[in-house]
This record gives sequence, C-alpha cells and structure tokens, in this order.
Amino acid sequence: MNDLVITKHIHEKDSFKIENYLKHDGYKASARACTTMTPDQVIDEVKKSNLRGRGGAGFPTGMKWSFMPKDAKKTKYLVCNADEGEPGTFKDRLIITKNPHAMIEGMIIASYAIGAHVGYIYIRGEFFREARMLEFAIAEARAKGHLGNNLYGGQHAFDIYVYRGAGAYICGEETALLNSLEGKRGEPRLKPPFPAQVGAFGMPSCVNNVETFAAVPYIINEGAAKFASLGTEKSGGTRLYGVSGHIERPGVYELPLTISGRELIDHCGGVRGGKKLKAIIPGGASAPMLSAADIDVKLDFDSLMKAGSMAGSGGVIVIDESVCIVEMTCILLKFYEHESCGQCSQCREGSHWLSRLFQRIENGGGTAADLDTIATVCGHMAGQTICAFADAVTGPALSAVRKFRSEFEQHIHNKGCPFKKGHEHRHGEKVPGVAHV
Amino acid sequence: MSNQISKTETDLNYCSDKKMPVPPTGPEAKPLPKMTLDGKIVEFVPGDTIMQAAERVGKASQIPRYCYHPGLSIAGTCRMCTVEVEKAPKLMTACSTPAADGMVVHTRSEKVLKSRSGVLDCLLANHPLDCPVCDKAGECELQDYDYEYGPRSSSFAEEKRVFPKSSTRHFSEKIVFNMNRCVACERCVRFTDEITKTNDLVMLNRGRKKELTVGDEQKGLYNDYQGCLSDFCPVGALTWTDFRFQKRVWFLRHDPSICDGCAKGCNIEVHSEKEIIYRYAPIYNAKVNGHWICDEGRLSYKMVMNPNRIIAPLVDVMGHGPVATTWEAVVPFVASTLKSSSKVLLVVGTDATQEECESLKKFLTRLSPSLEIRYFNGTGVKTSAENKPLDHLLRQSDKTPNTKGVESLGIKPLDSGAISGFDTVIVFRNGRAGIPSIASAKNVILWGVFSLEEVKALKNVKALMPGLATQEKSGTFVNSDGLAQSFNRAVVHRGFGLEVARIVEKF
Repeated sequence: MNDLVITKHIHEKDSFKIENYLKHDGYKASARACTTMTPDQVIDEVKKSNLRGRGGAGFPTGMKWSFMPKDAKKTKYLVCNADEGEPGTFKDRLIITKNPHAMIEGMIIASYAIGAHVGYIYIRGEFFREARMLEFAIAEARAKGHLGNNLYGGQHAFDIYVYRGAGAYICGEETALLNSLEGKRGEPRLKPPFPAQVGAFGMPSCVNNVETFAAVPYIINEGAAKFASLGTEKSGGTRLYGVSGHIERPGVYELPLTISGRELIDHCGGVRGGKKLKAIIPGGASAPMLSAADIDVKLDFDSLMKAGSMAGSGGVIVIDESVCIVEMTCILLKFYEHESCGQCSQCREGSHWLSRLFQRIENGGGTAADLDTIATVCGHMAGQTICAFADAVTGPALSAVRKFRSEFEQHIHNKGCPFKKGHEHRHGEKVPGVAHV
Repeated sequence: MSNQISKTETDLNYCSDKKMPVPPTGPEAKPLPKMTLDGKIVEFVPGDTIMQAAERVGKASQIPRYCYHPGLSIAGTCRMCTVEVEKAPKLMTACSTPAADGMVVHTRSEKVLKSRSGVLDCLLANHPLDCPVCDKAGECELQDYDYEYGPRSSSFAEEKRVFPKSSTRHFSEKIVFNMNRCVACERCVRFTDEITKTNDLVMLNRGRKKELTVGDEQKGLYNDYQGCLSDFCPVGALTWTDFRFQKRVWFLRHDPSICDGCAKGCNIEVHSEKEIIYRYAPIYNAKVNGHWICDEGRLSYKMVMNPNRIIAPLVDVMGHGPVATTWEAVVPFVASTLKSSSKVLLVVGTDATQEECESLKKFLTRLSPSLEIRYFNGTGVKTSAENKPLDHLLRQSDKTPNTKGVESLGIKPLDSGAISGFDTVIVFRNGRAGIPSIASAKNVILWGVFSLEEVKALKNVKALMPGLATQEKSGTFVNSDGLAQSFNRAVVHRGFGLEVARIVEKF
C-alpha cells in the first residue's frame, strides 16, 4: 500500500541470500556512500531523513552519529543492538532472517560515517538460528568484498562480529549491552559519560537498533527527502509493527508512522473472533496501555508520548475483553521482577514488591489500600534510577490501575478474579502473598 | 629529635583518596569556583563532585549514601544521594555529578526528601528489621538514614524475601555474612576488585535474587583486609566475627591511636569500654593507610588485652625464679643490680617510642656510665633496610612500629659488632618486638610488656618492671616511610604497669 523500506522483497524465495539482495540494488548505497560522499555528508543525509532510533527511545539517528568524536586516530566501535527482548516485539528477528543484508549494509554506511572499523552485532541469546543466519550473511558479504579492508577501492575498512548474549532482558539497554559485550555483568552504566565518549572497551561507540540500520541504505539510495516524506514531520520513514495478541492476522507489518491504533487493528483483520477490544499496548510491554477508547491516537513517537504512552519498540499487543487486566499485568510484572538487574535500590526492591502485590490482588488477597500502595511504589521507582527499566515497570502497572481501576476493585471486593471460575488460578500461587526466592 | 626524621611525602596511590581533587596552590592559582548548596555559597575544587563539595563544607552537610565510599569507584546505584540541581530535569546523584561553577543544589528539598524516603521504603521492604539482634545496630547507615529520612511506616504487606542459605554464612573465619540484611551497595565487591585485587567477593544472580557470594567456594574469602568489609558495610550484612556479639557499639569510646602491628603505622581508632579494647577501626590518612587497615593489625589489640600479660613487678631475690612483688621492692633491687654490674647492656625493642628510647638512654647512662645500647627487632627482619612490603597495600614484613625511629636516634642493631664483658642485660620492649636470647648474661632485667610464657622461656630473669602497651601511653613512632606520627593514650592500663618516665622517677 505504501513505499516499503525494509520488507519490500522479503516474500521472495531465499530473500536472506546476498544474490537476492544484490538483484534489488543491494550494496549500492554503501558503495555510493563510501566512494562519493564524505562522512559528514552521510551524517547530514541521515539527519535530514528524520530517521529516529527504532529500538524504543526514538532518538534521532543522525544526531547520535554526529556525537561521535571526529578524531580519526581513536578506535571507535559500531554496535548493532539485536537483543530484541521486549515482550511483544519480534520485528528485528524478521529483518535478521529475511533481509539481513539491509542491516549489514546500513552498518557499513554507519561505520563509514562515524569512522569505525569494527562492528559488533549483539544478538539475543535465544536467537540461535538467527545468529547462525547472520554469520552466514556476514560471510557472504565478506566473500563479495563488502566487508574487509579497502572497501570499494577506498581507505575504509570494516568488519562485523556477532556476539551472542546470555538471555538477559536488560542487555537490550545500550550501556548494559556494552558491559555484556565486554564480558561483564549486564548492568546499565551511569551516564554521563555516554557511549559516544566512553563505550565498548572504553572507546567511543555508537549503538543502534537493527531496524535503524536496515533503513539507512534506503535513505542513501532514494534520498533523505523521500524517506522523510514517508513519515511524520518529526519522524521519517516507515515502521515495523509487530502485532500480536488477540488479532485476526498477527505478524510484522511495515506501515507508515501516520497510522493510528484503530487503523492498525483494522489492517490486521480486527480483533480475533469478533470480540470487543479492551486495550492495546502500543510499544512493547514497557509502554503504558491504551484503553479501547484511546486507540485513535497515531502510533508515532510524539503522538503516543502526548497520549501518555510510548512508541517503544513497535510491538503492539492487542487485548480483547476476555482478558483479566490484573492477571495480565501480573504476568508482565513477573517478567520485570525476574529481569531487573538489581543495581538500583528502588528497581530491585520495587519490581519485586509490585509483582507480589499484583499477584496478591489477583489471588484475592487484595485490600483497598493496595491501590494506593501501587501508586506509592511506582512513585518511588519512576525516573529515579540509572536506566529506564524502572519506568518500564511502572508503565504497565500504573496504566492498568489508572485505566482499569474498576477491575482491580472487583478483584478486591470479590476476593478473587472475576474472570475465573471457582478457585482456578492459572498463574501464581494459590496462597496469596507467599514470597519465594 | 623529629628534625632528623624526614617527613617524606610518599606517593601512595592505592590508599590516597584518588578522587578527592587537591586545591591548586601557588601564585598562579585562580580563585576557587563557587556553587550554591542549600542556599549557602560554598567553594569547591575543580573536579569535585557535588558529594565531595558538600563533604568539604562539613559533616552537617553530608549527603546520605550507601554505594558511595571515598576510597572506591563511583557506582551510583543506591540512589540515596540524589539531590536537586536547578535546571536539571531529574534528580541527580551527588556522588557522580561533577560540581559546576554557579550550580544551585538543594540537598534537602521536598523532592529530594521524597526520593530518599522512597529508596528507604524499598530497601526496608525486604529488610528483616532484626536490629535488636544485629551487631551493626547503632552504627548502621540503614538505621541512621531511616530515622532521618525514612518513611514513618511501610505499606509492604507481602512476606519478606529470605535467603535461607545466606542467612548466617561464614565467608571465612573472620567474616559472617547475612544476605537478608544486604542493601546490595556492592562496596565490598568493588573493594575486593579495586583495593585488594583478589576478587573474592562477587554478586550472583540479578534483581531480587541478587546475592553476594565468594568468588571461589573452595578458597572462600581470603584477602588480608576482611575487617574493612565489616567497617564499610552500611548494614549488618558482613560482620567481623571477632567483634560479633561482644559489645553494643553505643557503649564504645573512640580514641585515635597508631597501630603498632607493623612498620606501616596505620592510623586507627581504638574502640573500648571501661578500658577494655574491643576492636580497632581505621582512620583515614592519605599519607599512610588511606581508609584501610589489615586484619593482622586489627587483631593486634589482643596482645594488649592478653590475660597472660604480666602487669605486676616481678623480682627474683632467692634465685628460684621471679615472683610478683611491688614497685617498692623491685626499684631498689634493680638499682643495686645496676650499680654492682661492671658493664650493662640495654637492648631496646624496635617497638619502643622515640620518647622512651631517649629517656631510657638518659636515665640508664646516669645510673651506669658503662652502658651499651643496642636495638633488637626479632620479627623476621633485623634492620629497617630489610623491611619489605608484603603486598601492594599496607602490610609490612617488619612487625614492629618504630625500627626507623630507633635507628634515627643513632642506636645500632644488636648483632652489629661484638659485645662482650657485660654482666647485666636490660631488655626493654612493648610486646611487639622479639626477645633476644642472651644466654651469657648473668642478670636479665625485663622492662615493658611481656607475657607469662615469654618470661618462663627466659633464663636468669632477675626482675621485671611492667610497662605500658602502645595504646596505653603517648608517644611517637616513625613508620617505614620515615613519617613521624605522635599518638595519645587511648585506654588506661588496668594493672600495675607504669610508663617509663614514672618508673624513672622512682629511682
């Protein structure tokens, strides 16, 4: 329906192979950038395209690249964040398995722009097959001369190494990723210094998402203006939405950023089984929920921010009326409780506290004061810690209470979950509030 | 006397406070930049963090902290030190934010107090609150800050998290660990990583399951500075077995002194009650020990408190061995022995203070003009030149505190040159130096700190005049770096022992 930046050719047979990619003008952009453009021109082009980081924070990519020190002698690293751990997000996996060369080409262009000669792809530990496929693609690119020394007859040299994570969600945070890449505990670092000053192995580093890199060749090939025109005023290009949950046709969709939540659901065939929509989570599990009444909001960074949620990683989870919000939040919080790195006091204790609290309410042990406690604990956590993890925990917790307060009150009043018959508890213990380590 | 000792400025990077910038001096020094701290305009040194700038103002403006320790790297994880900086969007951690000229900082604004109360609410949620049986109570930072900043009540209604295997775990003979009390500040982990470089403590798991453990289960905790872990542990998670359950900390009196356990001369605080020493704790001194002391030094108070220490004068009149007596009996005996001797040898242990050496020399020369003076170390080294550091931190092979000082007074070591023809030997030591074996002497007079076993092992002991141990007197030691350090009495001696000047008066 629109110009597709990343997924145009993914339905072809063996779309992940370099022959297929070269057939569709592959590696033309990297050759063009490395031979005819200066690094500053590349950065300017990306700046003009309004490309914003697709990992979740939506930071302008060109700006990020321009923060890298211009000192040519200093070793710099380019890191690709393929640690796609956000619940409800599966777009990077699609790129890696269907169009890995777009991402590799994007990395070559980025490395040229920032002057890095080594690139790391930090890939999620669970992505074993994907890591093998990436290594295959890198070997292909190396064999064809797109990676190595004196690229395209010039002075630029670049090579990529794949590094598999060990399965921690927090390693998707860029500084935790760098720590993990160095072989340390995956704990976010204090900022400043930012990775552009002190990154991997103490050297300036630039960390970008898979989707961000995959969009870069298009910008060089088709021009920044065209890319920018695909999106909104402040955010160019299209976006991959991973739609999951109670939807007729779940999957990854490349759509313009101007799409609204309702349009997206319609595009994907509507709510499964014709049921009524209850809520959506618009940007991966960390994004605060939007209730059915709010879904007309456009799914770009700024509109969602205004609506009190966030675009995050583009993983849209559709929730229908049959879902108990308390139970769902309970499951999400269990995930966060498990994944908090435990550095900051509030996050370590607060995520544990919230998870226990929600579990108790779900199991029928809640009291009226608990809803205030949730707000208090979220107040302790939000915005007080080193990284954004604490905010990610409070997002679903607070929005659930705020938007579905009646459901919580029902749980407390009925001393149990109204969505379940009898004493059936699918998650958590039957005995309310039992701590276990 | 102290003029002869060079006060060398030694470069001790490992223990000096690397992160505390030094104000520039000299004629070109610019005026210091200023910032506003809680409405007061304060000067700071370029390179200071907000925490350090507040530290310079005084103890009253100290910002609460858990993970921050001036001797360790910055972690910024406890979030206790957050302060409000005007024009900053969020609260900033004082430990990691550099101070800037013209910065306006509020350390006790409503926002800050709310954040601190939040941190404490979270930390206390799973804390066992076993203060009545916790050894740290009274000097616990969690307790102190909770009284000052904490929420008045907790709404935590869940069952507390318990680590059954780490509730009372002996990391080593010296340290007992309780994970339930831990606030995961990781000072200990950074200490073993950065200071001792042994990496024998690590954090296991993440999030709520985060648990401190030893790096090597077989070896356990093995560094030589384990007492420091208990010192800076803000809560009662790591406790020092030697002090555990011995005394409530609020009964303890704190007196500064010098550790006489080795030639390093670490600055310590003697913690005592009713003149009984319970433990030593380090005092910060950038030139000597930084923030730390070793375990050997920390346990060296046991010599002072030794129940077998001889604290009454002994005299051997009948030749059957020394028996306890009074000063009135021992003083004339010693005086007559010295007068009747043809030649007297004084052996000074290298644990004697400068002042003691001086007055002994003066006094004994008057009493016996043929006096020869030698010094004796007897702890594995003979002279200060043989002293070697045992590790990259503080420990020294010379286990006496004043070898350099005794040498600086012109006294020669015992085995330099043949000494003969003496019939009386006076051995003076303070419990640290070894005891020379002088079998040829007819009369041996002991002076100072000796234990029962040591006296029993000697022959020909005619008299013993009990002295005071280092912590019981004032004096000056010169450490292995040539730095003269004076100290005052920390505890009163609980026996009949007297300091040298008082004994001299009796003759």
